[in-house]
Amino acid sequence: MASEIELVDVQAGYGRAAPVLRGFSVAVPAGSVVCLVGPNGAGKSTVLKVASGLLKPRSGKLLVRGRDVSGLGPQRMLAEGVALVLQGHSVFREMTVEENVLLGGYTIADKAKIAERVEFVKDLFPVVADRWRSLAGLLSGGQQKQVEFARSLMVDPKVVLLDEPSMGLDPKATSTIFEQVVRMRDAGAAVLLVEQNARRALETADIGCVLDLGRVHISGPASELLADPQLGELYLGGRPAEPPVAPKR
Amino acid sequence: MPSASDTVTAPGAAPAPPGPAAGRPRLGRVLTIAAVVALAAAVLAFPGLAPNPYILSAGIVVLNYAVLSTSWNFVGGFTGYISLGHGALAGLGGYGTGLLVTKAGLPSLAALVLAMLLVALIAVPIGFAALRVRGASFVIVSIALVLIMLLVFQSWASVTGGSRGLVVPRPFPDLLRPEHHRVFYYLYAGLLALALGVWWLIDRSRFGLGLKAIREDEDKAEALGTPTFAYKLVVFVVSAAFTALSGGLYALWFGDLDPVFQFSILTGSYMVLMALLGGVRNLFGPLVGALVVGTALEFFKGSFGNTPLHLVATGVLLGLVVMFMPDGVLPALRNLFARFDRTRQSSIREVSAAELRDQRLQSTGGKA
Repeated sequence: MASEIELVDVQAGYGRAAPVLRGFSVAVPAGSVVCLVGPNGAGKSTVLKVASGLLKPRSGKLLVRGRDVSGLGPQRMLAEGVALVLQGHSVFREMTVEENVLLGGYTIADKAKIAERVEFVKDLFPVVADRWRSLAGLLSGGQQKQVEFARSLMVDPKVVLLDEPSMGLDPKATSTIFEQVVRMRDAGAAVLLVEQNARRALETADIGCVLDLGRVHISGPASELLADPQLGELYLGGRPAEPPVAPKR
Repeated sequence: MPSASDTVTAPGAAPAPPGPAAGRPRLGRVLTIAAVVALAAAVLAFPGLAPNPYILSAGIVVLNYAVLSTSWNFVGGFTGYISLGHGALAGLGGYGTGLLVTKAGLPSLAALVLAMLLVALIAVPIGFAALRVRGASFVIVSIALVLIMLLVFQSWASVTGGSRGLVVPRPFPDLLRPEHHRVFYYLYAGLLALALGVWWLIDRSRFGLGLKAIREDEDKAEALGTPTFAYKLVVFVVSAAFTALSGGLYALWFGDLDPVFQFSILTGSYMVLMALLGGVRNLFGPLVGALVVGTALEFFKGSFGNTPLHLVATGVLLGLVVMFMPDGVLPALRNLFARFDRTRQSSIREVSAAELRDQRLQSTGGKA
């Protein structure tokens, strides 16, 4: 299956410090969720910064649908159909849900297209439709996250980058968020998901990828990673409930 | 298991109205329209009710403040950039108009419009330099603008008259003083209506949406594709144009300009104070602030002469508002009315875990 976005042998870091990513590669096929898990400091968020154009890779390639877009800034990446949903709550709190969502489509000039996308995200996220005229800051954490999802989908992105979407949410809101991730995938987006809640994320994802020290430690179908006892012990906080199945290494 | 912090749709709740215009008008909306109509009627009737020309001239001063603070609010209200230097733009408008009348011999109205255009042009490089910095740095740059202009207009006496001032001839020399005041009162009322109208249009536009996003989080707005710097510059120029018009009108009305008063930090500070007092995110916030502060200033000056008492009273007033109405008078009033407005009830409300459990027990006939 063709990849919507692909990082090839990427080295990246901040300032003159040692690189955080050291030859990292990942491919996100269309209509799939790829989940990056790993310990703190492994470089998960740095992957998203490179993929969204916020951080220029020192070497390696960033490909979107096979085209090299290494070094493009965040606005150009948005135009390439790559949308980023930041860690934590990044809604405009003093603006309404409507205004937040419309800002997501700010680069679209065609009014008919904007109206069409608004209807699309309202259908996808009922809470956005229900709270359309509320101030975004008055919504619960889970609802704010859905507004951010809706905002990111306004530009009809081919790739959605999600940085720890369940951070700070209670279990019920977390479940809702992961359901929405699946709905985004089903709507056609390729999703690259970074998540600390590794077990829950792998249950949602199609492909799992474990990062450690800036490199891919192991990758394969998410269900197989979940079932790996060694992986469960090292990265997922315990042994899996099901009998183990060896992942592809 | 839902937590107490979850927000869920209450079963049986009425469907949400499709928009604010649908259905029965809200109490708040009706009250707002009534207040606006009453305010407009009061403003228009004031010259006929003013007992003497002095009170009418005080009314002009208050309207001048209202135009200035509304003009300031194009930048402060939409983008959140606090400029203390708008006094310089008003001074430039005043001196520009005065000099074009006295030195270039232009008719008053043409001088006013041309001065406005010149100030808008000058605002481009000023904004280009000043809007590159944010927060306290922007405030300091804006103060520097006032001080530089004060020095220039005081020192360049051969053109500006320096500390001796600049006398601007009256545009309507045949009119007696009360009629002169009456004409300028309505000119200021018209300018105020124009400024409010433009602010209202921007507030509802795509441009306004981008500006408000800048106010909330400039980096995030830029990441979403808003051309933040261009937007800030455009709205700064619009703000400068209205400020210059107000300053120019003042020059034609008052007829005597002095750099110390035209390029004073106090002018810009009053604009900020009035807008904050009324509510910077509200169309009529600066107007309400100007009515309160401007009237109080004129009262204190009239009653106690040119003492610092009016400054003390202004400071106390600002302190009280910041303590009890941090978003300004109008948002505080809106919240007060919202308490009594039953039509504002949403289709969605917070439901506690206990309420949810009770509702589920009822729906399952008591089977937990």
